[in-house]
Amino acid sequence: MKKKTNQSSFKTDLQRLEEISIILDSGEIDLEDAIALYEEGMLLSKKCLTTLSEAELKVTELKSKIDVTDDNNF
Amino acid sequence: MSETTLTVSEITRLIKQELEGNFSAVSVVGEISNFKAHSSGHWYFTLKDSDAQISCTMWRGVNNYVFFSPQDGMKVTIIGRITVYPPRGNYQIEVRAMQPAGVGELQLAFEKLKEKLQREGLFDQERKKEIPEFPMKIGIVTSIGAAALKDMISVATRRFPLTELLIAPCTVQGSNAAESIAAAIKLLNYRNDVEVIIVARGGGSLEDLWAFNEEVVAYAIYKSKIPVVTGIGHEIDFTIADFVADYRAATPTAAMEILTPEKQELENLIRNYDDEITEKVFEKIDGLKEQVASIVNSYGFRSPIDMLKLYSQQVDTGLYKLNQSVEKYLNYQKNRTALVTSKLSSHDVQKTLSKGFVLVKQEDKFVTRAKKFQTAKSHTLIFYDDKIHINKNYEEKN
Repeated sequence: MKKKTNQSSFKTDLQRLEEISIILDSGEIDLEDAIALYEEGMLLSKKCLTTLSEAELKVTELKSKIDVTDDNNF
Repeated sequence: MSETTLTVSEITRLIKQELEGNFSAVSVVGEISNFKAHSSGHWYFTLKDSDAQISCTMWRGVNNYVFFSPQDGMKVTIIGRITVYPPRGNYQIEVRAMQPAGVGELQLAFEKLKEKLQREGLFDQERKKEIPEFPMKIGIVTSIGAAALKDMISVATRRFPLTELLIAPCTVQGSNAAESIAAAIKLLNYRNDVEVIIVARGGGSLEDLWAFNEEVVAYAIYKSKIPVVTGIGHEIDFTIADFVADYRAATPTAAMEILTPEKQELENLIRNYDDEITEKVFEKIDGLKEQVASIVNSYGFRSPIDMLKLYSQQVDTGLYKLNQSVEKYLNYQKNRTALVTSKLSSHDVQKTLSKGFVLVKQEDKFVTRAKKFQTAKSHTLIFYDDKIHINKNYEEKN
């Protein structure tokens, strides 16, 4: 469960990082906000890179419980 | 034989023996009509040509080995034996194996289904779902243990290990394959965490891939609320499933590659953002610095400094003038003094003395009036040329 949260947050982190870049690009913000965003962006990118470098592929095999379709055949 | 009267059962038994004995292994080619797949699993159909027809049955279990779904109008070659069914007094072929009469037959079935599904809108571009860029959970519909699966897992491991693979195993070959594939797609659709489904199978013959040309698979893909990417066979193989899928990749490996950003690329992307936001923040700071500088250098801001400079210049000028005046004054006074001194020099005492006047000094003071002169005390007479001291009283001196 914990892993799941981590994984989905990678995507949101990456999206946030992109967002920060766009906001900073617009230039219509105060210096304080810009620096706060910068710090946030740096933390996010570090987090993303760490997550990425530590990631291990998870493979799950589903046990089919659907025999419903088979009933049509037999 | 003519004199013997037989019962219906007897004659039927004789016919049965005759027919079943002589036609225990026949190969017949014909067109399928009235095809019915019964819920029991048995198939019933008629095989016909322009002049004749014959009933056929194909039992459940045996028909598992037929890789395609027979359709009315399809020309097939069957192998089987003649059986007689006494209760009805009819004969039929019990089919053991069925093959399309030629590859053309499969092609025809393919084209027919393709046309039908196209009419129904299953291939419409507008209904194709968008493929997620970085799916965190990928459902895979394929045969477990197949090389295709191993390949896909290794691609995901190498490129984007952050993703999770959920494998819905199915059989991808044989009669039940189509149903099995459809069921696996349906199974993944029961979940709401799967972002995309890969329907995959490694390369094989047209017969091997046939399950992906079946209607039931087409509908399963069509009805899937999760986007479906197909990777079936090789580059050149196009199946009905490929046409219905939201995205068709040439191979299983290609399908996985499309769904997984490469780790290195992703890292580069993140580092790029790093650089970008750093640059932008410094740009911002530089911009503000410039703004401050330009304000400080603005006319309004500079005027106090300019005023100060102006005033200090005025003060300097004032001081200079003052100095000049003082100097002038001093010079004047100096000159005047010199003048007075020279005037005074004309009244010099020595000059007077030279004329014969004498100065009298008593107790270090000049005696200017007679009444101040003390006759009893010593005194000095100063002449032009010398002094004469007159001692009056020795005791006094001591």
